[in-house]
Amino acid sequence: MNPLLYALDVLVFIGIFGIVSLSLNLEYGFAGLANFGKVAFFLTGAYSYAALSQIGLPFYLCLICGAMISAIFGWLISLPALRLRADYLAIVALAFGEILRLIVKAERGIAGGVWGITVAPIFPYTGSELIYRLENIGLVSICLFICFLIAQLLSNSPYGRAIRAIREDEIAAEALGKDRAKYKAQIFMLASAMAGLAGGLYAQYLQFIDPYMFMPMITFTVWIMVILGGPANNWGALLGAALVELFERGTNIAKDYLALPVDPGNLQYIMFGVLIIFVLLYRPQGILKESHVKTKALELAGYGRSTAEDKRG
Amino acid sequence: MEEVLLKIREVSKHFGGVYAVNGVSLDVRQGGIWGLVGPNGSGKTTLFNTILGLYRPDRGDVYFNGDCITNLAPHQIYGLGLVNAFQLPRLFYQMTVLDNMLVAARGHQGDRLLNSLFFRKRWQEQEKELIEQSMNILELVELDRQVFSLAGELSGGQRKLLEVARGLMAKPKLLLLDEPAAGINPVLGEKIFMTLKNLCCNGTTFFVVEHRLEILFEFASWVYVMDKGSLIAQGYPQEIIDNPTFYEAYLGEG
Amino acid sequence: MIVNWPQVLFNSVVTGSLYLIGAVGLTLTYGLSNFPNFAHAEFITLGAFISYGVAHQLELSLLPALIITFLITGAIGFLCYRGIFQPLARGGANMIHLMVASIALGFILRYSIGAAWSWKPLYFSNVWPLSSLWSHHDIGLLSITNLWLWLIFAAVALSVIMHLILVKTKIGKAIRATSSNPELALASGININRVIWLTWFIGAGLAAIAGIFRGADTQIWPMTGWDIILPVFAVAILGGIGNYYGSIAAAYIIGLAENIGVIALLAVGLSTEYRVGIAFLILIVTLIAKPQGLAMLFRKA
Repeated sequence: MNPLLYALDVLVFIGIFGIVSLSLNLEYGFAGLANFGKVAFFLTGAYSYAALSQIGLPFYLCLICGAMISAIFGWLISLPALRLRADYLAIVALAFGEILRLIVKAERGIAGGVWGITVAPIFPYTGSELIYRLENIGLVSICLFICFLIAQLLSNSPYGRAIRAIREDEIAAEALGKDRAKYKAQIFMLASAMAGLAGGLYAQYLQFIDPYMFMPMITFTVWIMVILGGPANNWGALLGAALVELFERGTNIAKDYLALPVDPGNLQYIMFGVLIIFVLLYRPQGILKESHVKTKALELAGYGRSTAEDKRG
Repeated sequence: MEEVLLKIREVSKHFGGVYAVNGVSLDVRQGGIWGLVGPNGSGKTTLFNTILGLYRPDRGDVYFNGDCITNLAPHQIYGLGLVNAFQLPRLFYQMTVLDNMLVAARGHQGDRLLNSLFFRKRWQEQEKELIEQSMNILELVELDRQVFSLAGELSGGQRKLLEVARGLMAKPKLLLLDEPAAGINPVLGEKIFMTLKNLCCNGTTFFVVEHRLEILFEFASWVYVMDKGSLIAQGYPQEIIDNPTFYEAYLGEG
Repeated sequence: MIVNWPQVLFNSVVTGSLYLIGAVGLTLTYGLSNFPNFAHAEFITLGAFISYGVAHQLELSLLPALIITFLITGAIGFLCYRGIFQPLARGGANMIHLMVASIALGFILRYSIGAAWSWKPLYFSNVWPLSSLWSHHDIGLLSITNLWLWLIFAAVALSVIMHLILVKTKIGKAIRATSSNPELALASGININRVIWLTWFIGAGLAAIAGIFRGADTQIWPMTGWDIILPVFAVAILGGIGNYYGSIAAAYIIGLAENIGVIALLAVGLSTEYRVGIAFLILIVTLIAKPQGLAMLFRKA
């Protein structure tokens, strides 16, 4: 395969999973919500896109509607789980992802069931693979930029301060006037919408979806991205997405050149597992440290200048 | 006569079969420092948590400013201006001291999702004022040198001070303080109460649980005494000191 | 549609027995270590593969294979706790970290199994081709295999043994005390670590036994445990986390609900693949209505 085309393909994937990683970072990094069913919302976006584009909606509407449908699903799942402990939310979300995959697998009517379905691409194929990928990189970058901007604005505002407070101690935050159920539901919806958007982009880029593309593995990969890159740091989420994607591709390439006693397909996931446990044990804050709230007013008050001095002194 | 700010009527709360608070009724009127004392386990903290909506009382009602707040969520009660500082500090340890203060600000426009995304100008001015206000309060409790440190880096006493400072940040009508002077040096403890006294002039009322009776009795305008979940005495500090029931409760403890 | 109700009830007991054996370990470690161990699914899978391996290599029959598998997987469970979760918890990891670590562990185990054996399904009938385990008996309306009888017997034996351990022995009392109030247990001189280690050992060992039965009844592949993770978690939640007696009741309730649910699914013309959806439904309803599960019914005053 042409190395340039391959590199462009990697970039598209980094962009798409960068969006999912940002969304999980909003949930877990900033708000402390353990969404173990991330793939469910990615799936919802992908299948919504496939279904809507078949009716003939223009692509931007497909993407937006897909994101909104994911948001609604996120809201529904948040209803029973958000008032409860972190572990319940994790179990419910994980189970939800499995059920959703089960439904699209069992119902041929939705999108071909087990056989999957072809999805019309946004950019019609004009004969040049290069142009097709470049166009997709353009689209994905715009979406990624918007999501990144949203994540940055949110985390660097009093709103970001409130969700961090809820993450730290939700009882104290509640006693300080923060309606934790409302904040959590908002974050969950917003993040689900982002994941749904990424799902739509994914479906149209690959031009095909089937239930086996949405295994719990996806959720776990995104968790690695966030934990490795640095929770509560949007740059960290992007860095993590890039590193994990490159690692995945790297092992796939290595497979062709190295004679390993273990099948690289298995080895890759074993290494992911080992990596995450090492990060949790030895560097739980990830590569990049948590970024603190920055607002204009805070900068005027001298934040950023004196932190460095305080740390030394 | 001053207005009744907090009205508690026949409030009971039990855990398992044990009554932590049993049929307590009391009033806190506008202005001044109101004390609540009693031996360990007499139900003071449970009563506070019930007022705040963290516990739902089994019986009885709580009124604030004339409104029944028994069934409100803690954040709604906070919104009305009834604020609390926890006995054991519950700070946001991964956040800076200043951020801890700013979280507590009541009615910050930037707390809303849409404002944080699209209308950032709307709250920048407010944020600036709030920062100034936090700095003043932090200066008062001698934390102005740690403004940008993480709350997790503070010492035990400093954490306690920040907890109290955070309560003040909300400009509450009534601030519940659970042992504000515990774990900090006596001079600073005295100073905190002085500060509270000064703040009373701005229309803030304080309802304080405190084990350091000598400080509390110096500043309090009225004192309630609880024992075994019930209210057993009340009066001016001088009366309480002379009240035999009060001594019995404390001596009974050991 | 004619429904053979005695068969449905019998199947429910079989399903419930499997879930009970699978969930007891989860609920005990969940209650004691305070996080759900998602790698529990892989302990189940591991049991199926290890028993397949030892039975194949050493030409063992079901019972000795079962005992050896219990011991090996139990040891692995203990090592996983000792090597990963205990250091994490000591280092101040929160519940989310522990959950993520357990998922990571699950992946390590699952793909190691995939690498060591294969992703192609294996069948116990290859190891025990002449065994009477799969022979059918017809008793009245019921169709029964020996394997199912063994499964029910194992569940009953487990219930009795665990009950005796929890009530009569010192270590059992320690487990219950630690589960309901760790600080008090610590104050009363119980070595909490040893209690937790033992629980992880027993928990993983029991999961392995569930894996053997599941594997013998269907197939063995790296997802054997993951295939039943939803009902197993539903049992733990419905039974009340950490509550052994609650989980017995919950296992059979969910077994019954699934078997009746399958009939209902057939009746309305839906795919029977939705079977696991029933467990999910029970899980959600429990969390909304009564997050403490059935534990209330089994707590002595």
